[in-house]
Amino acid sequence: MPRSSRLRSRVIRGAVPIALVAALALSACAAPATPTDPATSEPQSGGTITLGRVASVTSLDLNNEITANNAFAIDKIFEPLISFDSDGVLTPGLADSWEVSEDGLVYTFALHPGVLFSDATPLTAKDVVFSLERHIAVEGPVPLHASISSIEATDDETVTITLAEAYTPFLSEIAQFSNGIFPADFGGKTEEEFFKNPIGTGPFVVDKWDPAGDISFVKNENYWQEGKPYIDALVYKLIPDGTQLLQQLQAGQINAIDEVAEANVEELSNNADVTVTKTGSWVVEQLFLNTQNEYFSDVNVRQAIAHALDREGITAATTFGTAEVANSLIPPTIQYSANDSGFALDYDLDAAKAALAKSAYPNGFSVSLMIASGNSLRAQEAQIVQEALAEIGITVNIESIDLATFRTRFFAYDFDFMINSGQSDSPDPNGLISFQADPEGFSQSYWTHYTNDKVTELMKQGRVTLDGPDREKIYLDIQEILANDVPYIPIFYPSAIKATSSKVHGLVVLPNESIRFQDAWIEQ
Amino acid sequence: MSGLPIATDGSARIARQTFFTRARRSPTLILGIIMLGLLVVASALAPIIATHDPAAQSLTGGLLPPSFEHLLGTDQLGRDIFSRMLFAGQTDLRIAFLAALTPFVTGIVLGLVSGYFGGWLDYVIGRIVDTVIAFPFYVIVISIVFAVGAGETGIFVAFALVGWVGYARVVRVTTTAMKSSAWVAAARGGGLSHARVILRHLLPNVLPQAVVLLMSEIIAIMVAVVTLGYLGLGIQPPTPDWGTMISDGQTFVTTKWWISTIPGLAVIYTGISLSLVGDGLGDAWRVK
Amino acid sequence: MRPPLRWLRRTLFAVVPVVIGVVVAVFFLLRLVPGDPARMILGERATPESVAALREQLGLNKPLLQQLVDFAGTVFLHGDTGNSLIYNVSTRELIVQRAPISLALVGLAVLFSLLIAVTLAVLAARHKDGIIDHVVRVIPTIGQGMPTFWIGLLLIILFAVTLKWFPVGGIGTGPLEPLRSLVLPALAVSLGLIPPLVRSLRSELLEVFSSDFVTTLRAAGIPERRVVFGHILRNASLPTLTLLSVSVSYLIGGTLVVEQVFGINGLGSLLFGAISNRDFPVVQGVALYCALMVVLVSLVLDGLVWLLDPRTRSAS
Repeated sequence: MPRSSRLRSRVIRGAVPIALVAALALSACAAPATPTDPATSEPQSGGTITLGRVASVTSLDLNNEITANNAFAIDKIFEPLISFDSDGVLTPGLADSWEVSEDGLVYTFALHPGVLFSDATPLTAKDVVFSLERHIAVEGPVPLHASISSIEATDDETVTITLAEAYTPFLSEIAQFSNGIFPADFGGKTEEEFFKNPIGTGPFVVDKWDPAGDISFVKNENYWQEGKPYIDALVYKLIPDGTQLLQQLQAGQINAIDEVAEANVEELSNNADVTVTKTGSWVVEQLFLNTQNEYFSDVNVRQAIAHALDREGITAATTFGTAEVANSLIPPTIQYSANDSGFALDYDLDAAKAALAKSAYPNGFSVSLMIASGNSLRAQEAQIVQEALAEIGITVNIESIDLATFRTRFFAYDFDFMINSGQSDSPDPNGLISFQADPEGFSQSYWTHYTNDKVTELMKQGRVTLDGPDREKIYLDIQEILANDVPYIPIFYPSAIKATSSKVHGLVVLPNESIRFQDAWIEQ
Repeated sequence: MSGLPIATDGSARIARQTFFTRARRSPTLILGIIMLGLLVVASALAPIIATHDPAAQSLTGGLLPPSFEHLLGTDQLGRDIFSRMLFAGQTDLRIAFLAALTPFVTGIVLGLVSGYFGGWLDYVIGRIVDTVIAFPFYVIVISIVFAVGAGETGIFVAFALVGWVGYARVVRVTTTAMKSSAWVAAARGGGLSHARVILRHLLPNVLPQAVVLLMSEIIAIMVAVVTLGYLGLGIQPPTPDWGTMISDGQTFVTTKWWISTIPGLAVIYTGISLSLVGDGLGDAWRVK
Repeated sequence: MRPPLRWLRRTLFAVVPVVIGVVVAVFFLLRLVPGDPARMILGERATPESVAALREQLGLNKPLLQQLVDFAGTVFLHGDTGNSLIYNVSTRELIVQRAPISLALVGLAVLFSLLIAVTLAVLAARHKDGIIDHVVRVIPTIGQGMPTFWIGLLLIILFAVTLKWFPVGGIGTGPLEPLRSLVLPALAVSLGLIPPLVRSLRSELLEVFSSDFVTTLRAAGIPERRVVFGHILRNASLPTLTLLSVSVSYLIGGTLVVEQVFGINGLGSLLFGAISNRDFPVVQGVALYCALMVVLVSLVLDGLVWLLDPRTRSAS
């Protein structure tokens, strides 16, 4: 296999999911993502960073995109009101500050003064209103879920958004890349023209763009953060093969790569000319059980499987120590994670056999484990699961099919169980829970058909409860129930792993795996 | 003239004797048969020779270098590579030989028919042959593998659909050359049916070339299976197969290079033995 | 009918059904395979509504026959097979952009293989049954069992990573860089082409060496080198050229794997991505291009044969 990361595939994935891995920080609290030597070096201006990526940028229409290949080019051009740092904590973006009314219905944002778009026109509240309203109108794939009754420009530098009902995750959603701000009326161009040559407030401006190849950016001379970005140009180079990514970096043909196979981390770390960074992400690698399957509808069977899996062993063998074992659906990089609460069913073969004995199938049965081909890490995981379940009498047949067919199958709920990953777009737990535990949501609990009224009720409460110990309790309860019902078994939280030439400093890796280049600089 | 011993019933025995004499004296053929024989025996005896269960995992004992306990080291999941190599040999040899059969038969039949009958039948088959050759190979193979699912079935179907073309061409050329020869006219004149002429007289004469080609085709199928493994479309895990072993080890190619290299050498060894057999047979039959 | 017209009619009868056959077969084959391009574009977490909307927008819901007719129309009226579903760029543009690299790769590979194969075959034939002959006869056997990607990886490790003589991948910019970037991939491809060429050429050469007219030439005192290159090769090359034609045909659409291994964004990698993402217009376009190129290649080679061997001319 050419690439060894979880997205290992030779396939040019026109639609690479945003790998927001749930907390994978290696230290107890999320380690800072920057590989820079603190305070000993002064940023130098100039130079070009060439980032090798496995997929090209096919569209820059921020409201209509969801996949990583496009999102992480979009977020260099457009910026939302709120930003977040590498720990997932919300920070000021285009808005310097914001206030929420007592009843949680009125949000007031104060824009940073003096921000210019890349064409030197000033940013005003009208642009914000236009951008957000357009996003709502196109009903894009990464929407604002809050029910918004009005968005107003109360004055040139203030925006007021009023909700019809309280929705605590609102601020997190505002921080998503799809809510970037662009000029009102597309600066006089047509929509189509605008997105071929977009204008935003971000640190970079598109220079040349081949939708089936490379895209190059130059620095935005009018960027509102003084003196930044330090580099002159940024190039996203298309290299679909993971081994080539590695080799071109090591040969010095490019100076940064967007992903590193877990298996290559050690080798790269030993290379003095290369710097490897590992940070926590918002992705959770899981085993999903179709609860409508005759065997998996029985919770005892599901618990038996959970007890039979040595998640630590799997993580160690397949990720070479770069991922963190998952003990809960919500990773530590997201609020209210129960990763340390000990809810997960532990690795205990006796308990597994006992649970199976309580079910209607004490003598085991045969099932099919579905995975997408072209991903070596998943293939290894699947083989470990197969061996593990054989120990308790469950015969697993591995079905490795190509990605397009894989998606067609599981969207039709035509599977027994599968290995896939869940991810969040924001640091708020609501996103992950809604996607994976809402039977009314379009994925019907991530295609498992999991329905638990208590969880549904808690989920709805979580959306309207203000942040605090009450909200924490809600999400801890949800995670505990999920850990016992196990419609899916979280296995590990992969890290966001990037590598650069050791002359490149100041990269900030965000938990959604996007790289921030504002502070990046190259040693000349 | 290609120097084929065109055998009528009477001289068939003489032709066979000459063939075996030449065969026995051909070092290429003998070496090839020995090498192939060793391979087949080793694979067949895999359950006996293997030192470990090829599926036995050891999550803490992964990626170990060769040692006394693990002659060729272990793979990522701690499975013994030597044992997996032997069982993979079984899988790969079986698949390559089986997948080569259908196109062999189809190709010979179509080649005989189109060469013998000529006319519009020849034209149609010829155009189909050209179409298959002009078809981007990977489009067919990958589409079929996607449609049918990765693994053996997809490979069998894909090669059945495209692999017959080489035989058809070669056989057709020889058949056309023979068709207009005197003895065929004599046979037909003597009242022999088309089928009889084709089966008893033409077929034995085209078989040598076809069998030589078969050896190359088997290698080609094996290489294609390995390449499909590299593309992620190979034999389903956990069945050991040299192709997936190479592709699984590819990530470690700079640090633990033996994981990918050794299965590759196995494929090359198989290729050499089949090539030698093919060449040897070609020499013995005096086929080009 | 006068010869050129007869040739033209014969060629058309041979060529046109093939091209049409390939294109129609690809059209239906693609739709047999499960998988939805709209879903591949939007990823797993997009709602069924957005996927349905995209399908509608891309014209994927129209009846099959309607799609075929539309497709035929686009091909004849615009010389294109439609916009790529993924990249939203005209397929023709994509092919025009990417084909030259793949063609250069194939061209260089053919050059390498001819140079090496001819040298080896001549050496072997001249020293029949000697050590050189045996060595040369063994080489094809090794080469045949080597998967191209495996050779490619080894070449990269040896010549690019360790010796640093060539880049590890990609196509470089600057004077002569593109050529330098293509050396290793072309070499990898040629190693697969050489074995059958050597075998065939050697065998043909041996036949010709022992033939009457060569003996006559030698008796007439013509220098050996002229005999070999001027006369023998010319005659021996015909079946080998036919063999080459088939190999090159395969390569036109078959550089997929080499391009992946060496990080070359050529036609092969475009094709692979298109098949995986069910980008129908692109796969169809590349298939059409391949069919046309194959036809072109075989016509060119037919022409070469006609040139090299006057004997074939009287056949028409």
